[in-house]
Amino acid sequence: MRLPDSVTGSFLVALGAAAAYGGWILPPVPGQPVGPNVFPLVIGTGLALCGLAIVFGIGHSFEEEEELVPLENGQAASPPPQGKLYGLRALLPPALLLFYVFAADRLGFILAAAIMVYVTSTALGAKWKLALPLAALSPFAIHLIFGKLLRVPLPAGLLPTPW
Amino acid sequence: MLKTLIDAFALISTWEVIIAMFAASVYGLVIGSLPGLSATMATALLVPVTFYLSPIAAIATIVAASSMAIFSGDIPGALLRIPGTPASAAYADEAYAMTRKGQAELALGAGVWFSAVGGIAGVLSLMILAPPLAEIALSFSTFEYFWLALLGLMCATLVARSSPVKAIAGMFIGLLVSCIGIENPGGVPRFTFGLTDLFGGIEPIPALVGVFAVAQVMRAMLTPEPPPLPRRKFGSIMAGQWKLTKKYHWQMTRGNIVGIIIGVLPGAGADMAAWVSYAMSKRFSKEPEKFGTGHVEGLVEAGASNNASIASGWVPSLLFGIPGDTIAAIAIGVLYMKGLNPGPTLFTEKASSMYAIYLMFIIANIMMIPLGIAMIRVAAYILLAPRSTVMPIIMLCCAVGSFAIGNNMFGVVTVAAFGVIGYIMEANGYPVAAMVLGIVMGTMVEQAFVTSLIKSDGSILPFFERPVAAILAAMAIGALLWPVMVWVWRKMKPPQAAAATSR
Repeated sequence: MRLPDSVTGSFLVALGAAAAYGGWILPPVPGQPVGPNVFPLVIGTGLALCGLAIVFGIGHSFEEEEELVPLENGQAASPPPQGKLYGLRALLPPALLLFYVFAADRLGFILAAAIMVYVTSTALGAKWKLALPLAALSPFAIHLIFGKLLRVPLPAGLLPTPW
Repeated sequence: MLKTLIDAFALISTWEVIIAMFAASVYGLVIGSLPGLSATMATALLVPVTFYLSPIAAIATIVAASSMAIFSGDIPGALLRIPGTPASAAYADEAYAMTRKGQAELALGAGVWFSAVGGIAGVLSLMILAPPLAEIALSFSTFEYFWLALLGLMCATLVARSSPVKAIAGMFIGLLVSCIGIENPGGVPRFTFGLTDLFGGIEPIPALVGVFAVAQVMRAMLTPEPPPLPRRKFGSIMAGQWKLTKKYHWQMTRGNIVGIIIGVLPGAGADMAAWVSYAMSKRFSKEPEKFGTGHVEGLVEAGASNNASIASGWVPSLLFGIPGDTIAAIAIGVLYMKGLNPGPTLFTEKASSMYAIYLMFIIANIMMIPLGIAMIRVAAYILLAPRSTVMPIIMLCCAVGSFAIGNNMFGVVTVAAFGVIGYIMEANGYPVAAMVLGIVMGTMVEQAFVTSLIKSDGSILPFFERPVAAILAAMAIGALLWPVMVWVWRKMKPPQAAAATSR
């Protein structure tokens, strides 16, 4: 998901401008010169200026030393399969969380959590022999800790827990 | 003084605190040792649990888990050359080289021992620095707070290991996030887009969980699994550590001091402390040629440094509500939740609670030695757990934990959204720590800024009139101009700049 600086920079300019405008149109506090509008105005302007600087590559020279932890040299790390859709796999975790938001009330915590665990585990390369027991057991364990011990009201849904 | 100390002992010698501390220590050791799961993430996932504990027990879990996780990141660093937490990345190569030379015990022992020593040095700094600073801070007005907050935000951008412009942009994004909601000077809904869920603003904790935990799971989706740990038998782990302490006592002290300073600086945490100390150790060493070939000197200094920064990161957090690092940012959230609102009065009104925090830090660092040794011995088994079983559970904890914070599903949406934001920012070189700082400090910065503006009646002059405010202002503006000056300087001297970067 490495985007060119010009793209992220332009986005920041737009975001900053929108924030500044959004702050500008807020109603002021009667009888006072400053109110809720000042801070977003300052922030938005600053953000837009930063975005401009990034578009023009200012400060880029500082990024050279950015270096990630090197992988093991001895074992040739198998190059990850690069497809067009491969990068989209990264969106799976947030998508699953949103799925949880919509499904938990209807399916109940146990089922929704089991589906989430199974999909994440499989996506990370687990065989069904590992993923299935994990998906079956871990929701109960988490429910025991959060639902029972910490009394978080987790939705029961279709499959209530035995306790 | 003695009475507060006894009160503090009474506060921490309850079963709840003892069990919470022990459990959090084990949890911190395990999470820290798993590559890809950082100390910050361990702490963030702990927050929902702290909701249901007493204030002291809640802080105990954070203190214990964060100290342990920073040490335990050394274990896979030494054995696999994959740092368990970013704080161990600086010297993972060195430690691994020692393991290959058959000195794994010495490397890991140095990790445990100097982490504990560093941690205790950090607490001492907290005990010595905080009360006199609190004394000074009592006379601060909103002008001083404004400049202090600005200085804090600027520090975070200065020390980021990426473009300062991007760091400042990250900070602004965080401040912008903190604008959402009706908690603003006018009490009007701001940037809520008509959504009732946004009226309360974005809670920092779900945002932190998203940025540090969900984004990590997202990255795991695209990176290959780390290799399993070869099983090995360890000899005595603490053997030779005392000799090292005597031989490298100066390096150790320097590491402690650097760690403390970096910890106090807002936004710069354990990972930065380790990088700086390791570089410093190499620079001032009598035998720099040995670095990189399995030489323990750098490990001593950096190990002493990263743990020292953990405790000293609490100094600005407790005093001003300005987090010293990302872990302290989470701690501030918990402090507010528990009615221990950060501020100089904390040290006079809740003195026994402060002493309890010091004591817990000391206990956690002493406990680190036996628990750390045990952890090193069982690490091979824990690291057998494949990522495909750990990450799903992390996901589940994210979902349940963020729900538990407000008992509403919007927390889960926040976590997901900030997972994406954190992932995109990290991938494009925008430091997320700067954004986190912005989110945590936003409300305070705005309050100080707007109140000051109202007091000064729109004039800029009062911002500089008080002596302390003037000094802080000079420092903040200097910090703001520093990258510009460096940039100009580099432009003027291109040949040297090229040589400096290729080094």
